[in-house]
Amino acid sequence: MSEGHDDHGHGKQSFIRTYLFSFDHKMIAKQYLTLAMSMALVGGLLAMLVRLQLGWPGTQWPLVEKLFPVGMASGVMTPEFYIMLFTMHGTIMVFFVLSLAPVSGFGNFLIPLQIGARDMAFPLLNMLSFWTVVPGAIIILISFLVEGGASASGWTANPPLSAIRSAIPGSGTGQTLWIVGMIFFVASFTMGGLNFVVTIFSLRTKGLSMMRLPLTTWAQFTVGVLGLLSFPALTAAVILLLFDRGLGTSFYLPKGIFIGETLFPHEGGAPLLWQHLFWFLGHPEVYIIMLPAMGFASDIIATFSRRPIFGYRAMVYAIISIGTLSFLVWGHHMFVSGMSPFLGSAFVLTTLAIAIPSAVKTFNWLATLWQARIRFTTPMLFALGIVSLFVTGGLTGVFLGTNATDIQLHDTYFVVAHFHFIMAGAGLFGALAAVYYWFPKMYGRFMSEGLGKVHFWLTFLAYYGTFFPMHYLGIAGMMRRIYDPNTYEYLKPLQPVNTFITICAFVLGSAQLIFVANYFWSMFKGKKCTESNPWQSNSLEWSTPVVPGHGNWEGDIPEVHRWPYDYNHPDDKADFTPQWKATPAKVSAGGVGARR
Amino acid sequence: MPDQNAKPYVNHGMAMAISIWAIILISVLFFFKYQIPELASDRSGLDTLYYVILGITGAAFVLVQLVLGLYIWRFRHREGAVGSYWHESHKVEMIWTLGTAVVLIPIVFSGLALWNRVQAAPPDDAFVVEAVGAQFQWDFRYPGSDGEFGEFRPELYSLSNPLGIDPADSASADDFYRTNQLVLPVNRPIHIQLRSKDVQHAFFLPNFRVKQDLVPGMATSVTFTPIKVGEYEIACAELCGLGHYRMRAFLSVKSEADFQNWLSEQAAATAASVSP
Repeated sequence: MSEGHDDHGHGKQSFIRTYLFSFDHKMIAKQYLTLAMSMALVGGLLAMLVRLQLGWPGTQWPLVEKLFPVGMASGVMTPEFYIMLFTMHGTIMVFFVLSLAPVSGFGNFLIPLQIGARDMAFPLLNMLSFWTVVPGAIIILISFLVEGGASASGWTANPPLSAIRSAIPGSGTGQTLWIVGMIFFVASFTMGGLNFVVTIFSLRTKGLSMMRLPLTTWAQFTVGVLGLLSFPALTAAVILLLFDRGLGTSFYLPKGIFIGETLFPHEGGAPLLWQHLFWFLGHPEVYIIMLPAMGFASDIIATFSRRPIFGYRAMVYAIISIGTLSFLVWGHHMFVSGMSPFLGSAFVLTTLAIAIPSAVKTFNWLATLWQARIRFTTPMLFALGIVSLFVTGGLTGVFLGTNATDIQLHDTYFVVAHFHFIMAGAGLFGALAAVYYWFPKMYGRFMSEGLGKVHFWLTFLAYYGTFFPMHYLGIAGMMRRIYDPNTYEYLKPLQPVNTFITICAFVLGSAQLIFVANYFWSMFKGKKCTESNPWQSNSLEWSTPVVPGHGNWEGDIPEVHRWPYDYNHPDDKADFTPQWKATPAKVSAGGVGARR
Repeated sequence: MPDQNAKPYVNHGMAMAISIWAIILISVLFFFKYQIPELASDRSGLDTLYYVILGITGAAFVLVQLVLGLYIWRFRHREGAVGSYWHESHKVEMIWTLGTAVVLIPIVFSGLALWNRVQAAPPDDAFVVEAVGAQFQWDFRYPGSDGEFGEFRPELYSLSNPLGIDPADSASADDFYRTNQLVLPVNRPIHIQLRSKDVQHAFFLPNFRVKQDLVPGMATSVTFTPIKVGEYEIACAELCGLGHYRMRAFLSVKSEADFQNWLSEQAAATAASVSP
């Protein structure tokens, strides 16, 4: 017990201090995961309803009507309900699921464990950050219940739609609550980001240089920086939006807006200003979701391949360049928005530049698998899934990042397919892989491998079944966000594709229930984990007791002697050499130790 | 720990490889079935670039997923198999970093050249139409025989004057508009000036490779040449409200002679409605 931290660590604590207002990063992580999982159920249900409409447009569903008497008036979904569904699906999934689970959840859980720290640098701030996002989530959920319903201006909340109440039913109280919810979210995320950066910079244990960090921690570090620098733009943007809505300012509203036989008195604002501010956050946000997943994939693939991660340095540089470039690509969302075409061209260059580090990561994963001895555990299956989804989604980015081809594909289902593979897919599979992998460290039990594998196969195949055909819809010209594609003659032949997608989406959605059941069942009844390092892995979190208590290590924090990827070291009889093991010395880099 | 080396019921490595390969096969086959809508404008360059990118990324997709499947299958854990510690190669990293760049650079520059052509200022002889988007309809205004649009002022928006055209402006006398119906001549450059009365919309002509947002308070435009006589659909591609999905209009591309006939009919009708 070397550090003063322990004095409040091992004493008996009240229920409230342990489970509600805990300072322990591991408990806070579990709270975040529980919140993210609950929000995912809501976000997923919304997606199912969206697909219900697109699968069989205009069909009567008397049972669903009982659940949503207004949105499904006389059993048929109304257009305003449909718009609300996809708006809130996007908002909830992007912010409250895919940011919370991999970043706030696993970032908090793993950073201190992987760098050898007793806790995050600012435990109080950490607790505060969780209890700031909870009201945000509640406000977002409550917005469904107010008059006019939840926000319905898309997850990008473009004004004037989001600024003028009469523009769309959800633009009333629902939109205000959306803004307030977002402010809570951003405040929470900023606190988290600050904590991540400071912790990783200043609390690394002896011997743990930055170039010995696991790639997961590298990713979380970059994410912390991205969050700190990009989210304030959204805060500014939504506060200005609030002013335009309530105080009669004209940040986003120009002269001459005429809605519902009323000419609005605004003057001088620019709707494009919002898009710039929103996407200045929005694009780094995509990488905030993806980078941790790429980190998890690297660590999990190395562990179960029994191979060192290939090109560690290149992987680190790739993470840093992706993080840096992510601030310079926001305009690729705006090629046909009316933004200067010259500016558009500049964004093409930066956007396609970001493809290079992305490709480097993929090739390094493949090289890691080469000459591997893969153990097919559930987390490994999900990690391999990430690689496959990432390749698929990354390649379609070339069409959209090239402004000339983006003209036709922009705002079609091609885009929906693209980001569900690269961002949502990687984020979801990343979070799932991470849960299966670190579950024993969290709860001292394993999740059921049998159920896990069923979950994987259904999810992987249904994911492709749901999202791959969306490319065809987009190529054939189907726009996003339309309530009934059959309004258009040229989209009518696509109905079978839409029906097929809906069936796959239902399978995908149901499969996640297996996961939720497995999670809670295994927490109490899962197979007990008796070793502190059950997967025979190398990074520091596995040197803690089976279930680390408050303070993480019972004795001194171990010293680090090597990088975290010494699998199959030529001078070690065991096929893994953890970071806290002094011998044998790391084989010097540069392709040495070549093959065994 | 679960016995990671026990014989599993399912060979997940093989199953994963087969699934990935099946996904490649099925997804590639369907790319032949679902095509971009038939081209009816002079923007064939965009289609060519689309197919070039499809070819390159398609090849990369097949190749990388094929190798991924192969490695997963080939390098699954087997008793007595020997792994490798090789994990660092400057040369290999350079090959795939520069290799990716070399593939992307021609795409970027041919794309930018095309973009510049598409975004270029309209030629002087372009036929000019104004498209006005409003929740949830399109109005297409023609300048009439003087070739000039009358001024519009938002204060004048009303049920009888939905486009807010200033009657005091002499250029507005022969202007006429049609709701949800755009008629254009074939083989002539067309310049469409876009403006929105309320929220953002996007003017999308699927068959013409044309898409451009309408932004309130801002003038945007598109220039293209229709090359096929026929009837086409116009869509709104930017979320604009609860009727977004039905903000549809029709485009009729006519031969020059038919178009002139249509124009004079409209002019006559406009004159008749204006004179008391």
